Amino acid sequence: MRFTFNWLKNHLSTELSIEQVSKRLTSIGIEVENFSDPDTLFKNFKLARIVQVQNHPNADKLKLCSVIDSSGKTYQIVCGAPNVAPGLTAVLAMPGAIIPYSGVVLKKSKIRGIESEGMMCSHKELALPSEENDSIIDLGPNVDLSESVGNALGLDGGIIDVSITPNRGDCLSVKGIARDLAAAGVGEFLPCSNVSCPSSFEFPITINYENSDGCKKYAPVMAFRVIRGIDNSTAIAKIKNIFMALGQKSISPIVDLANLFMMDCGRPLHVYDLNKIEGEIAVRFANPKEEFIDLSGNKHQLLQDMMVSADNKSVLCLLGIMGSQKVACDKYTTDILLESALFDPIFISRTGAVLNLTSDSRSRFERGVDRDSCFSELENATKLILDFCGGTASNIIVLGKHPDVQDNVTITKSKLRSISGCDLDWNESRQILKKLGLRETSSSDETATFLIPSWRCDLSIEEDLVEEVLRISGYDNVVEKKFDTWVVTDDEILNKKRHIFTTKKLLAAKGLSEVISYSFIKAEHASIFDESGSLVQLLNPINTDMGVMRSSLIPNLIVAAIRSLHYGQLHVEIFEIGNVFCGDCSQNLNIAGLRAGVTHERSWAQPSRVVDLFDAKSDLLVVLDHFGIDEKNVTLKLDAPSYYHPSRSGVMWSGKRKLGYFGELHPKINKLFGIAEKLICFEFLRPDIEVASRETPYNSKVFPKIARDFAFLFKASDSVGSLLNDIYKLDAKIIRADIFDCFEINCAEKSIGLSIVMEAADRTLTEEEAQEVSEKVINYVKGVGGKLRGK
Amino acid sequence: MSDLDRFFATCLFEIDNCSDLSSIDAVRMAIFGKNGKITEIMKSLKNMTPREKREFGEKINNIKEKVRARLQEKTRTLELDDMEKKLSSEFVDVFMPARPYSPGLVHPLSKTEEEISGVLASYGFRFADGPEIESEYMNFTALNMPDHHPARTMHDTFYMKIPADKDGCKLLRTHTSPVQVRAMLQHKPPLRFFSIGRVFRNDYDATHTPMFSQIEGLMVDIDVGFAHLKWFMSDILKQFFAIPNLALRFRTSFFPFTEPSVEVDINYEIKNGKVVFGTGDKWMEIGGAGVVHPTVLEHGNVDAAKYQGIAFGFGLERLATLKYGVPDLRGYFESDDRWRKSFGFSFFA
Repeated sequence: MRFTFNWLKNHLSTELSIEQVSKRLTSIGIEVENFSDPDTLFKNFKLARIVQVQNHPNADKLKLCSVIDSSGKTYQIVCGAPNVAPGLTAVLAMPGAIIPYSGVVLKKSKIRGIESEGMMCSHKELALPSEENDSIIDLGPNVDLSESVGNALGLDGGIIDVSITPNRGDCLSVKGIARDLAAAGVGEFLPCSNVSCPSSFEFPITINYENSDGCKKYAPVMAFRVIRGIDNSTAIAKIKNIFMALGQKSISPIVDLANLFMMDCGRPLHVYDLNKIEGEIAVRFANPKEEFIDLSGNKHQLLQDMMVSADNKSVLCLLGIMGSQKVACDKYTTDILLESALFDPIFISRTGAVLNLTSDSRSRFERGVDRDSCFSELENATKLILDFCGGTASNIIVLGKHPDVQDNVTITKSKLRSISGCDLDWNESRQILKKLGLRETSSSDETATFLIPSWRCDLSIEEDLVEEVLRISGYDNVVEKKFDTWVVTDDEILNKKRHIFTTKKLLAAKGLSEVISYSFIKAEHASIFDESGSLVQLLNPINTDMGVMRSSLIPNLIVAAIRSLHYGQLHVEIFEIGNVFCGDCSQNLNIAGLRAGVTHERSWAQPSRVVDLFDAKSDLLVVLDHFGIDEKNVTLKLDAPSYYHPSRSGVMWSGKRKLGYFGELHPKINKLFGIAEKLICFEFLRPDIEVASRETPYNSKVFPKIARDFAFLFKASDSVGSLLNDIYKLDAKIIRADIFDCFEINCAEKSIGLSIVMEAADRTLTEEEAQEVSEKVINYVKGVGGKLRGK
Repeated sequence: MSDLDRFFATCLFEIDNCSDLSSIDAVRMAIFGKNGKITEIMKSLKNMTPREKREFGEKINNIKEKVRARLQEKTRTLELDDMEKKLSSEFVDVFMPARPYSPGLVHPLSKTEEEISGVLASYGFRFADGPEIESEYMNFTALNMPDHHPARTMHDTFYMKIPADKDGCKLLRTHTSPVQVRAMLQHKPPLRFFSIGRVFRNDYDATHTPMFSQIEGLMVDIDVGFAHLKWFMSDILKQFFAIPNLALRFRTSFFPFTEPSVEVDINYEIKNGKVVFGTGDKWMEIGGAGVVHPTVLEHGNVDAAKYQGIAFGFGLERLATLKYGVPDLRGYFESDDRWRKSFGFSFFA
């Protein structure tokens, strides 16, 4: 919310500067996002009036202007604005002035050979909102040139821009802010004197609750008055200037006054053009599917639990939120119906949320406006309108009555101590509450009971009062207190997280870089990578590219890879650790990696190659090893999900537990994403498993190892890699089994080089024993279709 | 000078004069060989008396030993010279590039998460986890934001396309605070918990991403209040930033789940165009905190008459940005190579 400093001073007498007040506001929870001090801003600026305009001798588009200031001194100014004319009152920047828009310090200069002693400014140059771009500011012929520039521009002592937390409906008004400041020791709060305007004629129309009990629940009190004979066609210069400075759109005098009034005291009013009302007015619930056309001309279909005021023909106002286009005031409006009412906050909030309608009125009613001041504020508003727009007022008629609420809250010294953690002065604390408008109804050394004022809807429990005391007295007064640390050694979740951190480092050491990507992805991508057949969709995504919760980390890795490859990288190595989601909304942590392109840039020292599934296999095995799973205990199956290449991928299992996938992605994925490079991926699906500790017994004795190499012939289509796990099982003396060579001899056969290393834990193996193990290996391999070469 | 002395001097002279391994071999043969000088000298032995023999023998043995040592030493020197000569011809251009080596990088958010976890754990705070798809009840109602509470509209919430159940709609959690309630429901007080995780808000512009991460902390005990919160916030931030004289400012704010609620600022100044924390009188917002609202304690099955809680929250991206100078929030999630090279961490860091 924006307001001017002088406006604040109507409610607060203070000697402090705008800067000091702003600092204090922030510290008491009314955060000042911005403030401008016109005395600083407009140093070296003055008001001046153009007395003579001549053509510039050396430029067609420039003019030479003689201007005069309040002391009668004249200056020669070169200006190119289209609107320069004698009589225009301009804002003149003198040498030394800092132009707010550009931050440039103005100097005396020659423009096309003619000296200009200053610059006449546009709104834009002063960083003020305006629709006109090229024209210089014209403040009109009646401005006193000795007035300060800030005041003449409506800056009125400076502008303060605050953001109000949702609990403080009362501070969505200048009056409320002034009251808080006064309680915080910034000057004295100046209460408004309540006026009453005599009625000149009888209230001329009929208004009733249609369903009295139901209506009173949500609109407990409504007061109305008619004002006739107003002038809504002549703009009120003062208000227009202030609105312009605040960046608020000026609509018409009567609407501007209602808005100004709302900003001043926090009570939204509604103004109906009386002559556009047809027949009687009923305050009622909306009819099913009833149509409402709002001020901006948007159509809404109302629900039966929303409340409106309506005439015989149509809805006039969606109560507490927005009026209809039909009875909106315009410059021909002469007679108005003024409404000042109280609505239930939750009711307003719900209606606004369902229709997705926001307004200044809604944001105040849903935070709570003063529940006791419907009539007095209507009187004050009437006076304001009569003063600025003329006219005469009717009597006031009232539906319902102010709710009879007496909120008493007790604060205890012990609660004050336990929440703050320190000893605050009891008397000073009670004094703060009193200054905030709470009335002490009883008190002792230990407790005090306060009547909550009608404008503080946010205070209902003891803790609220403690916060008020702390807020105003300031948190600097609370002395820090230590507490003991606890020694925790059994935090399993943290240990798990730490294991994940080290997994990240491990993968980085293996050359993969970590990415973090959005949890929601394009539906088209999500469904291809979904194995469960049930995805979770977002109801209101940012866009359709972020419409579904991911069930695999791979799609985002592909998008990232494409980005890198397009950027000219020859190789990509990335991984992500994050949650994936199932249709039942459950989440699982996954680890996935992607490699694409070549192993490394071309190098004289080492040939590079295109990455393949064995790179991903190694990545997955390294991760499994980090989780304590030995490759020897992993079984490999070939039924990887359909987004993997059907014959270049695998699934690793440990017993009945599916651990993860590795392999080349299916070419259809390349096609879908429009990427030529093979995509080599792995996914570890079970980072949740308990990390097994390694159990390799240590034998301090060393006996010679015996190594044997074999060459076998297999059919080219035979799968031989899985032999190794079985070979280990042949004899405990086999400590290593590896395939060190593999090549095709012709299209039908391939040669496999197998190396075996054996060792006994307690003795040197004899030649006979080695031979025995070798025979076992040969026989086993023969049994699965291998032929020993050379025999 | 006796004959033997002369012989000794001659041997040494010949050895020292050798310039390569073949000539030293020749010298060795000439001295110790079958027909060498030693054999020659030994021949004179047969004409001597036993006493002369003993004296001469002793002397010649002494000489032999010294000559052998000199020969060995000279041989080693010549061998080394020989090797050096050979090596200097084995030229390799060491200015050629090394074999390719490109380690990966860890994301700055992971690094920051690890660091702040370590700090919080050191005070005895345990890690608590919660789901990213939350119930409306946990995300709002349990945190003292009943239906149509205006504070709900501050959180631009993503809802899931799933029918509501007794806990309301399913949504993407807008903050990590629901973990507070989950932790209280699972454990009896006194308790200390923290959580770090992804949160989501329907907001996407230059300064907002629809996903970001929060750090949440909760402590519930019999005697814990704002004074403790103040000390704790100050202590953990000093540790995290490794700035012992970091100053904090507490400003009143509003969160429905704490009462009182504050925003926490840390001090800084601009030196040579760079932000320096822990000095100066400018303030930068870093997080929110407060004393837990009694309603929230009740939703967590904690006796609000007996216990009190303090809670706080930070944005993980903000901490990373402030500590490591990462400029733009969007960069965290864009997986850009160049960004990663600037802000990623070596796995040793």
